[in-house]
Amino acid sequence: MKDHRVGCVLVPLFPLAARLRSEPDLKGEALAIFEGNGNVARIVAATLRARKAGVQRGMTLAQARGLLPRLGVRPRDACCERAAQESLLEVAESLSPRVEDAGEGLLYLDLDGLERRFSVNGGGRESAEHRIGGALIAAAETLALPARVGIAGSKLAARVAAEGSDGPTVVPPGNEADYLAPLPLSRLAPEAEVVEALHRWGIRSIGDFARLPANEVASRLGNDGQQLHERARGLDRRPIIPRHPPPSFQEGLELDWPLVALEPFLFVARAALDRLCRRLEATGLGCARLDFALRLEPSGYDERSIALPAPTREEKTLLTLVKLDLERRPPGAPVSGFTFAAHPDRPREAQLTLFGPNALSPDQLATTLARLFALLGIDGVGSPRTVDCHRPERCTLAAYAPPPPPEVRSSPTARNGGGLLAVRVLRPPVALEVLVDDRQQPVSLSAEPAAVSRESSEKRSRTAIAGRVEVASGPWRVEEGWWTEDAVDRDYWDVELGDGGVYRIYRDRSSEAWWADGIYD
Amino acid sequence: MALHSTTLRIEQLLGAETSRILTRARDLRRDSGRDLLPTTLTPLDHLLAGGLPRGQLVELNGRRSSGRFSVVLAVLASATGSGEAAALIDLGDGLDPQAAAEAGVDLSRLLWARPRRTQQALAGSELLLHSGFPLVVLDLGNPPVSGGRGSEAGWMRLARAAAARESALLVSSPYRVSGSAAATVIEAHSARPRWQGAGASPRLLDALTPRLELKKLGGSPVERSARLVLEAGGGRRGGACPRPPLEVP
Repeated sequence: MKDHRVGCVLVPLFPLAARLRSEPDLKGEALAIFEGNGNVARIVAATLRARKAGVQRGMTLAQARGLLPRLGVRPRDACCERAAQESLLEVAESLSPRVEDAGEGLLYLDLDGLERRFSVNGGGRESAEHRIGGALIAAAETLALPARVGIAGSKLAARVAAEGSDGPTVVPPGNEADYLAPLPLSRLAPEAEVVEALHRWGIRSIGDFARLPANEVASRLGNDGQQLHERARGLDRRPIIPRHPPPSFQEGLELDWPLVALEPFLFVARAALDRLCRRLEATGLGCARLDFALRLEPSGYDERSIALPAPTREEKTLLTLVKLDLERRPPGAPVSGFTFAAHPDRPREAQLTLFGPNALSPDQLATTLARLFALLGIDGVGSPRTVDCHRPERCTLAAYAPPPPPEVRSSPTARNGGGLLAVRVLRPPVALEVLVDDRQQPVSLSAEPAAVSRESSEKRSRTAIAGRVEVASGPWRVEEGWWTEDAVDRDYWDVELGDGGVYRIYRDRSSEAWWADGIYD
Repeated sequence: MALHSTTLRIEQLLGAETSRILTRARDLRRDSGRDLLPTTLTPLDHLLAGGLPRGQLVELNGRRSSGRFSVVLAVLASATGSGEAAALIDLGDGLDPQAAAEAGVDLSRLLWARPRRTQQALAGSELLLHSGFPLVVLDLGNPPVSGGRGSEAGWMRLARAAAARESALLVSSPYRVSGSAAATVIEAHSARPRWQGAGASPRLLDALTPRLELKKLGGSPVERSARLVLEAGGGRRGGACPRPPLEVP
């Protein structure tokens, strides 16, 4: 029968490791993570520097500060820990499809069949498993998580092995009972009440317990004791329960003090987005939609969603979009925490063609669009679209998402001799004073001096239109929407002025005002 | 280095006739005409010896009604019509999507950016060139240009970005702005428009006939000119149904 192999990945002092992953600047400082409020707040983990000064798990904050007055403290952050746990699971899932989430920096993965992928010429199964362990530790290190790995035939033996040294620890197949035998009983299941009973009986090591007769253990300690006895003998029948991957990748942080200004928020958000992008990259995915929730002071949440033109894992792009969104719609209250959730999708690959024009890289396009939005605003960039109406000034913008290029480049057809005359639209139209003759044809134009707004007056001064009309062609009537308040009723002329310019002007029939709204150019 | 030594070895084996037998891939590409973007305007293509050169900054100058914007639309129509993506940086905010579609521009492939100042326009153009757009058109609108002429260094950077990505870059402005960064300079001179009808009878705008004068080509000064005919289409009223002029009582 084939030996079943289980890997265990364990991050020691997980609450601290998760916090340091989110705030890497604190590495090397004397820092402690506490749980609880007020007088019942207890230390749950501390850095080496703090431990050297005597700070231990279970101390109150006052006790710890008594030992080390300059001790930095942080509360446990569920958001950080969840993100760190997710990233650890993703590391394991990059190697094995069956990964069990055992919570708080602990996971199990099924290693069956993996040794063939990691074996090299002349190396046995054990060396392959060492390489698997090394790969897991290295991958976790890239995510700033110091992991330990144990590999054995059962979950218990793998976990106990993972608690050992910093490098991967491999228990050879069939040696689980021998490996566990000298270890203290507390390593079997630290929280089990059965262990306390065994202590009272004078049993100190796992080996002592394993040597007890199975029937006697079952009759005295019940089902729990029987299962523990089997594990002590290296028979761990608990299967790996694979987890369902969550629909989104999440990163976030609870802030020590609320932030009011945008810049400091973007500083901490950048680090979270960077971690998010690294996780997406590790799984070969991109962010198609970014949801983020801001925890506001004193209460409440502000939830937002940003859809991306193409899946991306560029931190700069995501940060720019977050910045734009917050600038456009500020949260209105100090922010005391945030969570980013990236909804993943496969990045689009540009299909290269042999004979057609090259497509734009979707990743690069998404980044460029985000930067253009930042530069020109959301309304300043897009793909122009026609509007089904007769008003010449009509225009609308759609999101820019060009279709894939054709497989074969088609040659443009040359126009014999010339092309189509285009109109350069004047936005907004320029107000005119127009003199007309007996037949109501314009004979002279000048730009109206009165200004409606600052912006329009600026544009008017730029577009000085004045002179004697050499030729006038018109009128053409444009009448639209008479049943609405925004009705249009205009008579249009094409006029050539003495300066050689050809303009499109109109008389608004409802107000009798004259406007120029285009230049033939 | 390995390629160079291999080429030398082949040349030794084949002798002096090598240059006639061996062709570099990049020379093939040049021969195939892919380094030029035809404008579909025959007189302009003749002036430019085939079309807009890719990887260079081409500047087109002209006053009002000199046909500058029509050339811009023709170039955009040519690029998007052949399946390429194109970008229009429209400082004057003068694009009419309906007119562009009638001129043959594939709007789904066109990115329209509307900056407010020259500096924004230059920065936006540089971003688009670096992202690999095969054609970027920067139209500075009518004089005076909002935000001034831009810095010489900015135009040089733009020209370098176009060269690095081998993109065609057309700058349409009312007067010279890009200085020595422009490898090709064309001036468009307006002429009297052509009208249908004469005397007291109703008139109809028929065409503009600007004269295009090539001042610089590939960095060298030249003197060539051609007449361009830009015919007024039926949809110039901006989508309204073309109809004969009304007799106003």
